[in-house]
Amino acid sequence: MAREPRFVEAKLSHTAALILQALDAGFIYGFSIMEMAGLPSGTVYPAMRRLERDELIRSQWERQSIADAEQRPPRKYYKLTPAGRATLEASRKRYPLLERLIPSEEAKPV
Amino acid sequence: MTPPSERIARVWHIGLLRAASLLVPRSQRAEWWHEWHSELWHVRHDCAPIGSFSLRGEAEVTAFCLGAFQDALYLKRHSFESRAPSSTLRGSATQCVLFLAAMLAACYALALLLPGVRAERSLAPIRMGPGLVLIQDAASSDDSSPSILPKQFRAWKERKQQYFDGFAFYRVTQEPVRRESVSNASDEKSKWGIAHSSENLFALLGLPVQFPEQDAGTYGDIPGVILSERKWKQEFQANPRVAGMVLHLGPGRARIAGVVPDGSRGLPGKVDAWLLEPDEKTLAGGAGFVIAHLTAMGRSEMYAAKVRITELNPDNSEGNLLGISLDPLTPGIWALFSFALVLAILALPAITSVSLGECSESSERALRSRTLYRWVFLSAKIALLLPIVYFSSLDLAYANTALSASSSAYVQLVSTFSICLFSLRWVLQDQRQRCPVCLRRVCNPAHVGQASRTFLAWNGTELMCMGGHTLLHVPGLPTSWFSTQRWLYLDTSWGFLFAASGSAIKSETISGLTPT
Repeated sequence: MAREPRFVEAKLSHTAALILQALDAGFIYGFSIMEMAGLPSGTVYPAMRRLERDELIRSQWERQSIADAEQRPPRKYYKLTPAGRATLEASRKRYPLLERLIPSEEAKPV
Repeated sequence: MTPPSERIARVWHIGLLRAASLLVPRSQRAEWWHEWHSELWHVRHDCAPIGSFSLRGEAEVTAFCLGAFQDALYLKRHSFESRAPSSTLRGSATQCVLFLAAMLAACYALALLLPGVRAERSLAPIRMGPGLVLIQDAASSDDSSPSILPKQFRAWKERKQQYFDGFAFYRVTQEPVRRESVSNASDEKSKWGIAHSSENLFALLGLPVQFPEQDAGTYGDIPGVILSERKWKQEFQANPRVAGMVLHLGPGRARIAGVVPDGSRGLPGKVDAWLLEPDEKTLAGGAGFVIAHLTAMGRSEMYAAKVRITELNPDNSEGNLLGISLDPLTPGIWALFSFALVLAILALPAITSVSLGECSESSERALRSRTLYRWVFLSAKIALLLPIVYFSSLDLAYANTALSASSSAYVQLVSTFSICLFSLRWVLQDQRQRCPVCLRRVCNPAHVGQASRTFLAWNGTELMCMGGHTLLHVPGLPTSWFSTQRWLYLDTSWGFLFAASGSAIKSETISGLTPT
């Protein structure tokens, strides 16, 4: 049975809010989030596991054909869920500078 | 071509990721490796592209790879958490019953594995009947050597006896034995200890003959031989269809008429099989052993394990004999267990209060079904505990087969008493610390008050039911106004404290406190 998503704003750490904001801004894989948030891999990946466990984000593997065409290994992409988007909205109220740290227009096309 | 320094760096980074992957639970490892390996490619592509080796770039990639350990550790920890027993089971009555059942299974398995315990348990229900004595010549220094002549036995049997109401005679000889079905070419004769015995021997001993033959008449005048349990297992691999097989015993033949349990091992002489014969044949040989059954008068005269018997011969001369009781010197394992159990129950109030601490309940709370549930749980604990005590004490007493029977009995008595006493104490203490509503153990003890203020205020320990039903107050120093523990039932307004544990208070009848 699926767990009930957690909407509790107070439980979302600054790191988690930053990752959600980066995902919303279009940085959708681990390394790009690291670069944008300025956080080490040892912080970003476990935080993303927690967010995925709490169903605020979900992951999906890139199709092999796309990766083959670009001569690179396929990547695992992350995406906000509706619950994650709602939590991000709540977090933006709590952390007003969040949007200024990672503006949505900085997103790279994928 | 890739320079060697870059190749070494790549091997180093892959090695780091491989090492970290070992921490990841097996079920997630493949995907985890796939993701990190793919990310490493991109990190290398950005930080340390091929052909442009730089220490700074490689250090960045190394830092990235080191982060994999934190990620792997997180997954490992999360996996442990999800495998841990759920909070609903922790401290619950179900957990307690499951734990006791597992302990019982372990003790029973050990009892099945230990040969000493197995032998003692199989022997327990099979013992020779009471009131049996072995009659020996008083001049004989060794109880295990035969000393009664056939003519003496015949004379006693023919004479009216005051102290005995039955006699049986047997003498042991070593004879070569061969199975009739075995071909002569592969025949290997082995020598068995054959007891030529009176036909009434087993009836007198009160020992049941197992696997008796169904139709003895088909064998004509071939005498019956009863195998000892040890020989039956050793030579016939405990075959239950052994009855009816014909054996060559020395010069003659005999049919297997059954198996006698090892309860006969108290008899002197090393016997592998008992050949039941009419007295004319049994008494045709040399000296043997005589078993006699005591009358009520005879039993009253058996004041010791060995008594002196005076035999009056036909020529009015007197002969000195010894009557050696065959009653077991040690009581059976059940008798010991029962005795130790009674002792432990009697001693229990000396080490703990036998009260279950059920007091100051409001009538609404003390619903009959809940009371019944509590008693059923207590009974289940005791019902599981008694066999645990029984088997664990047997394991302790009979694990060492080198111990004598009396030493083993002593160990069993002491261990049964000790384990039983402290187990019953634990049962009562555990019951007292279980919430009367959900039977979950109360936890989070908090000391309240100071001992120096006992006369002005309350001091003691407060424990909490994690289901949010009750608080348990245990006085630190029993006083006339607070001598025993008290339960405090919490109302629904306390629910916010327990909401996180997923066990909010149900809307039940309320008594007592509201949070301040």
